[in-house]
Amino acid sequence: MKKKSVISVKDIALIGMMTATIEVAKDTLAFLPNVELVTLLIVLYTLFFGKRIFFAIPVFVFLQGLLYGFGIWWFMYLYVWPLLALLTFLFRNQTSLLFWSAFCGLYGLFFGALCSLPYIILSGPTAALAWWVAGIPFDIIHGISNAVLCLVLYKPLQLALRKLRNAWF
Amino acid sequence: MAQKQTGKSGKKGLIAVLILVALIALFAVIYTVMSPSASEGSKALTIEVIDNEGVITSYSIKTDAEYLRQAMDETEGLTYDGTESDYGMYVETVNGVTADYNTDGAYWAFYVDGEYCNYGIDSQPVNDGEVYTIEYTVYSY
Repeated sequence: MKKKSVISVKDIALIGMMTATIEVAKDTLAFLPNVELVTLLIVLYTLFFGKRIFFAIPVFVFLQGLLYGFGIWWFMYLYVWPLLALLTFLFRNQTSLLFWSAFCGLYGLFFGALCSLPYIILSGPTAALAWWVAGIPFDIIHGISNAVLCLVLYKPLQLALRKLRNAWF
Repeated sequence: MAQKQTGKSGKKGLIAVLILVALIALFAVIYTVMSPSASEGSKALTIEVIDNEGVITSYSIKTDAEYLRQAMDETEGLTYDGTESDYGMYVETVNGVTADYNTDGAYWAFYVDGEYCNYGIDSQPVNDGEVYTIEYTVYSY
């Protein structure tokens, strides 16, 4: 009897496409500080394609490292994006657009706090707190822009992904 | 049933939005309270200008400037102008008074704590507590 593999060829292709779209979305909006589509795409991909996102995120993070260098921020990416997928997975039964907009907004708002965690080890809690506080205006921009982008793009992207999933699987 | 679920989920969405708004406000408050305010400079300096009529105008400033030029730029009420050169600016006009060396040998002399300044304003380091004097001087032959 043939043993079913964990991921199929179709999955690998899908993971490649998810990674590519996240990468392109990230770099296209890189000129706008803290305005990004990565959060929304990871949320939607998790909702539509489940565990496959946990294969796409490491590839995306590795590519980011290759493109921009493996700095401290890279270590933040190692846990920030998988955590987003994990939280999304936990709330996967939510269907409200408002909920997901607020969810994306909250993730953007707490992005700085999550990224300040390595500084607790590197420079101590006081320095980490100062680092987080200094970045709050950017976190607020991040939160608002995430919420607005989700509010505007969630439905059209949901429609496109639903069509894709139905055709794919 | 489906409608009931949508209603429930809509309510949760609304609560989530309210939480987001409340947290944005909270973060803004945290930032206002905890962020370091624009700190005053750490060096206290005095700049004195003695013009062509001997009138002394004194300025006290607090600055983080490394060099005198930046400290002069930060001094409210003090204006100056001059010619840029490879060695920095040669100051010709201070507070609207121009010293023209070619006409009558007049120039603006700079002193640090009473000692003649050996550097131009671009390379004169500033230290806490120092007094800089800018004096209209006429070279006498």
